[in-house]
Formats: sequence, C-alpha cells, structure tokens
Amino acid sequence: MAMISREKIVEGLVEILGTENVITDEQVLKDSSIDRYRKYEQCMGVYTQPIPAAVIYVHSTEEVAEVLSFCNDNQINVVPRTGHSAIEGGLETSLQDSVVIDGSQMNKVLKVDRYNMQVTCQCGVPLQELDDMLREQGLTTGHSPQSKPLAQMGGLVATRSIGQFSTLYGGIEDMVVGLEAVFPNGKICRIKNVPRRAAGPDIRNIIIGNEGALCFITEVTVKLFKWQPENNHYIGYALDDMKLGFDCLREVMAEGYKPSFARLYDPADAAGHFSHFLEEGKCILIWMCEGPAGITKAMEAGIKELMSKHPELEEVDPTLIEKWYEGLNWGPEQIAQEREEIIATKNIGITTEVSGSWDNIYEIYKTACDRIMEEVPDMTLMGGHSSHSYINGTNMYFVYYYNVVDCEPEEEINKYHNPINRIICEQVIKYGGSIVHHHGLGKARAHYVYDEYGSSFYMLDTLKKAFDPNGIMNMGTLIPLRK
Amino acid sequence: MKILVSCAVLPDLEALASEDWHADEQKQINTAFAPLDWNACDESALELSLRLSAQDGKEPVERCAMTIGPKNRERFLKTLAALRFDRLIRIDDDGADLRFAPQAVAQIIAETAREEQADVILTGRQNPIGENAMTPLLVAELLHIPCLTQVMQMEWLDEKEIRVVCRVDGGLRTYCVKTPCVLSVGDVPGTYLRVPTLKDKMKYGKLPIAQKTIHDFPQAVHCLEEAACQLEDLRPVIQEREGKRIPGETMEEMVHNLMETVLKGRLIQE
Repeated sequence: MAMISREKIVEGLVEILGTENVITDEQVLKDSSIDRYRKYEQCMGVYTQPIPAAVIYVHSTEEVAEVLSFCNDNQINVVPRTGHSAIEGGLETSLQDSVVIDGSQMNKVLKVDRYNMQVTCQCGVPLQELDDMLREQGLTTGHSPQSKPLAQMGGLVATRSIGQFSTLYGGIEDMVVGLEAVFPNGKICRIKNVPRRAAGPDIRNIIIGNEGALCFITEVTVKLFKWQPENNHYIGYALDDMKLGFDCLREVMAEGYKPSFARLYDPADAAGHFSHFLEEGKCILIWMCEGPAGITKAMEAGIKELMSKHPELEEVDPTLIEKWYEGLNWGPEQIAQEREEIIATKNIGITTEVSGSWDNIYEIYKTACDRIMEEVPDMTLMGGHSSHSYINGTNMYFVYYYNVVDCEPEEEINKYHNPINRIICEQVIKYGGSIVHHHGLGKARAHYVYDEYGSSFYMLDTLKKAFDPNGIMNMGTLIPLRK
Repeated sequence: MKILVSCAVLPDLEALASEDWHADEQKQINTAFAPLDWNACDESALELSLRLSAQDGKEPVERCAMTIGPKNRERFLKTLAALRFDRLIRIDDDGADLRFAPQAVAQIIAETAREEQADVILTGRQNPIGENAMTPLLVAELLHIPCLTQVMQMEWLDEKEIRVVCRVDGGLRTYCVKTPCVLSVGDVPGTYLRVPTLKDKMKYGKLPIAQKTIHDFPQAVHCLEEAACQLEDLRPVIQEREGKRIPGETMEEMVHNLMETVLKGRLIQE
C-alpha cells in the first residue's frame, strides 16, 4: 500500500527522528507486528502478520506531527502504541511496511494541579507510576485496570479502558478532562481543560476510544480524587447461582449505591481466584466501598441490609476479599510465567468482555457458555464474571481456557480463539448487548462492527473518512480491511 | 507397575503480603488468605508420572496419588482423576502441625506405599514450608529401598527396571534402577501439570477419594509426640534490596567508583 519502498520509509523516518529512534531490529519488528491477541503464536515464536518497516520512538507532539505528515503523504499505514498491552489485535500491523509509532518515551507528568484536582501528562506516562506518585500525595486517578502495571496513558484513553473501581469513578471517558492529539495530516488539536461545556458535541469522544484509527494521542488530562484506603470496606457473599447474583448486583445499583467495585464470579472463574476459601461449585459476590469514612460505613451497612433479604447468601470474611484484591493486577512477572506455562502445557487462557442490560445479561452469559462448551473442542475452563455495573446493566467478562491439540501454532487462532469470539459476539448481538465492554474492538472484533453499530455505523464511517481520508491510521482496527 | 505420587497442595506464600508474615502464639503464620496450589516440586512429580505412563508399548501403569491435608485439597485430587489417575487417597491431618516433621510425613508415605504395593514412589524434593528435603530419603530408609534425588526424567526399561536421569553438580547422570524405589523430584523446568478438558473432568472426575486420617498411622502420630526437636521461634528473613547509582563520566571512572565506594567496604567487612 505504501507509495515508497521499505528502505525509503526507513530513510525518511531517520531523517525526521535520527537513527537511534528508528528501530529495524528483526525481533523487535516481529514482536511489534502483534499484540497479546496472538499470544499463542508469540509464545511459539511464530509470526503470521506482515512485519512492520520500523518501530519509531517519538519524543514530542511536533515529532508526531512530522512523522504522521510523512506517512500520510506516502500512504504508509501507522500503528500508534504506548504500553503494548493491547489484547484485541489493535496493535497488529495488518498491512505491508507499516510503521509502529511508539509514544512510550513521551513520559513526563506535566502538571499535578491539586487545587483543580486534575493531572496532565504525556501519552507515555505509565499509569502505575503516575498513580503511585499521586498516592504518595494522598491522591489517585481512580483508574485501575488489571493492565495497570503495563499500560500507559495514551493507550488507556485510545482503547476507552476501564478500571476495577469503575462503579464509583467511571470509565476513562468519565475521567478525561482535556486532550491533545495529532491527526494524520499533521494537524495538532488541543481540547482545553474545563469542568464541563455545552458548546456543541463532546469532541473528546472522537479521540477517546479511537484506537489509533483516527489520531495519535499525545497528552491527556484526567481528574484526581482523594485516596483514602483506610476507609475501605469489603463485602462478600457466596451463593449458588448467577441469576440471583445478577439480581443482587442490580438491586445495589438501582437503590443508588456507588461501591467502587462490584463483582460477581461464576463457579468456574471463582475456582481460579477463591478456591482457598470458597466451596466448590459456588459463585461469589463482592463489593468494595471506597471514599470518605462516613459514606463507606453507611454504604456497607446499606448493601448488607439489602442483601439480608436474600437468605440464600452466605457472608464471607471481608479480610479474605481484601487480601484477594491486593494481588489482582498483572505485571511482567505474571506474563513471563504465563508464557512458560503455555509453552509447557499447550493450555492457553483468554478473555472476552461484553455488556448487557439487566434483562438480558444472564441469557448472554448462559447461552454463550453453553454454545462454546457444545461447539468448541478441548475446553478446559469456561466461565466468567461481571466486574463493572451501571444503573441499567452490567458487563460480562468471559474467561476461557483450552488445550491446543493437533494444531500448528498459526492455526490455533482459527481453530479456537476466533470461533469462541464469534459465538460470544453472536449471542450478544442476538440479545441486544454490546460486543465490547472495555478492551476495544481492535482487529479481532472489527468484523462485527456493522452488527454492533447498526444504522449508526454511518457516523463512525464518516469520522474515519473525514479524519483519515488516505486510510493510514491503524487500518483494520475499528473497521475491517476490505480484502 | 504401580506408581504412587505423594503430592502436597499448599498456600501460595508469594501471595502473602509482608505484614502477614508474623507468627501467632502457636507459631503459625496465617495463610488462610493465600490461594492454594500444587507444591512446585510435587507438580513436576505428577507431570513426570503422566509422561512415564504415556510411553507407548511399555508396561501398563497404575497411577495412585496421595495427599495429606484438609478436605479442600480434594478439588486438586479431582483434577488428577480427570487426568486418569486410577486411585486417589487423602489423609486428613486433623490439624496436626506437619510443617517441620519429615519423619511423621515419611511414615505416612511409607505405610501407604506398602499398602498400595507401589513399585515407584515419586515425591517432590521438598516443600517451601519446612524446606528440609529429607522426606523422600526417609521414606526410602523406612522401606529399605533405593532413593534417587534431583530426578529430571524417567523411562521404563522393563517390568522391574527404570532408567532415571538425575541432575548432579555440573551435569546430568543417568541411572538404571530396580524397582521398588523412591524418586525425589526437584522443580524440573517445563513440567507444569497438564490441564484436563472439561469433558474429561465430567467423565472421569468423579472417581471416589479414599479417606484416611493421620490417626490411621500410629507411628506417624508417635513421631509427632516424641519429636526430638521443638519449634522455638519463627522470624521472617529480611530480603530487602537496594539500588545505588554509581557516579562517573566514563566506564573506567564508574568501575573505579564502584570499587572504592561499594566493593572495597564489603571486602574489608568480610
């Protein structure tokens, strides 16, 4: 697709950024052709996607603008990234001679504005470092996805991510105050930091969740909150079935409580987290109340009173929940160990997250699990949990493991992973939910974008054509490539 | 041929926060918060036993697994049933403190091996609570049979002989050993226990688990009552690390400063 050769692409980039910021090492390029969607192929050292021409490190908004202009003029596909923790194929380089623009070295915290309770940082600031630094000052972003030890601010905004405390703080879209982004023609746009405005559509949401398919995010301002872990209260109940669990989650939300996390695990998923205290075959419901002491105490009492109307629930020692929660996040060590286990056992675990209303989430969960068990071979675990609840519904995080049997590494994705994704997406569409809750569409689920959007696909398609008329921004993400 | 694998399911101590590492009046660390998992060495032993069983054209193998612990360990034994183990035994510890009692544990394993008429007794080398690496050697002594340690691989030769590869200082050594024997397995790389499919769990996972208690092993109880040594104290090992930036403009300067400011002081101290 590029109008110039691979060598000329590298030459042009070196001219803009210098040799040291244009990486053409073969292994780096291979690793940069995929993300964790193809983790089995990666573990086995098999790379099936086109290898990019270069991975480049940018250090300023102006450099990003210059690189994007160069690529736009020469119709070179670019894949923006920061923490490289994506898991839905959003970072795959689907076209020949793509350029991966890595913003991880734009990693300065520009301003901690304690008075206005907001922090501004460059796209490559690691969330873990930012939040650790803020917590030392008694503050937090309130954003805590499981990828926190890996993810960086640009990618978190680009994928419309969500954290474990979303029921209180919201998703990243509720936290972002202002932004700076660069469009493919080199145009730099800044959206100012104000508490709210009614000056037309909320254009932040053109950038939030664009998955690198419209622009490159260079700067982010998010809200700050007081960090008061000493006031946290944990609540847990064991129960027999998911239907009752969803009803309990709904009751708490509908009554107006705002716990920071609200979770429901089915027996299969719960066994992987709580087997040291939870009876086999049981589900578990969990809440954490966070915030000022008076509120958290009252919230705990309120939720417990609501749950006392369900004699089927068995209360769990809250310390067990607290200790479990402390070990929840994934970091590089866990990923390294997972890789070893996959290579040794050929057993691989994947997740797919969707959402639904209160009146259809159970059917989505039940029918998708049943179909996968029926239609996909070699499953070793099929389950899931709800981890983000709203007044009108909740999410479902399907968790599944399978043994890769009689199949080459490059065939694994079509034998197992894609069929499972397809079944989940079909059931979600059938019952009226959303096929993506917080990982982004990436390239893995872009094929379902038409069903997901329906008549509103016109708006997404128009945005893509308007902002990226030459089709250079992370092609195949959000909207599938036409073969 | 009958293989008996002795395996422990233990709390994942790495999941404990530093503030949880304090002993109570009974000199117990509360590990109730930590998820359970196979002892790493025992997991290797289990996987090696399955690989041994899978050898084509060799003797049919009967696999038996035993564990000592409370009822919640049975979930792990059910996984072994799905992996086609033929017999499962759980010995309830009835709250006995077996952490530093390898003689008592060895008595239980040895008696079970006798009852089951095991040809090969596979055990993990040690577990992270106690860390004595004595148990397999004591089992062999009680049964008057040979014991090989640091086992990495195994292969049947015939009905009464097995070829075993062991790690020794500086390399690997291969032995041919007559059964019955005890094989002590370390944490062998690449030996994570395979995962059974859900269909196999449903089909084979309901194998009954033979139940015993520590009181069915009076010699083990005697070992506990007459223990030659008593646990006096438990203290965490401080494992703090410190990073230090060595100043210097050139490599030579930095090496010089490293020697002067860090290494020399340590050498003198030692």
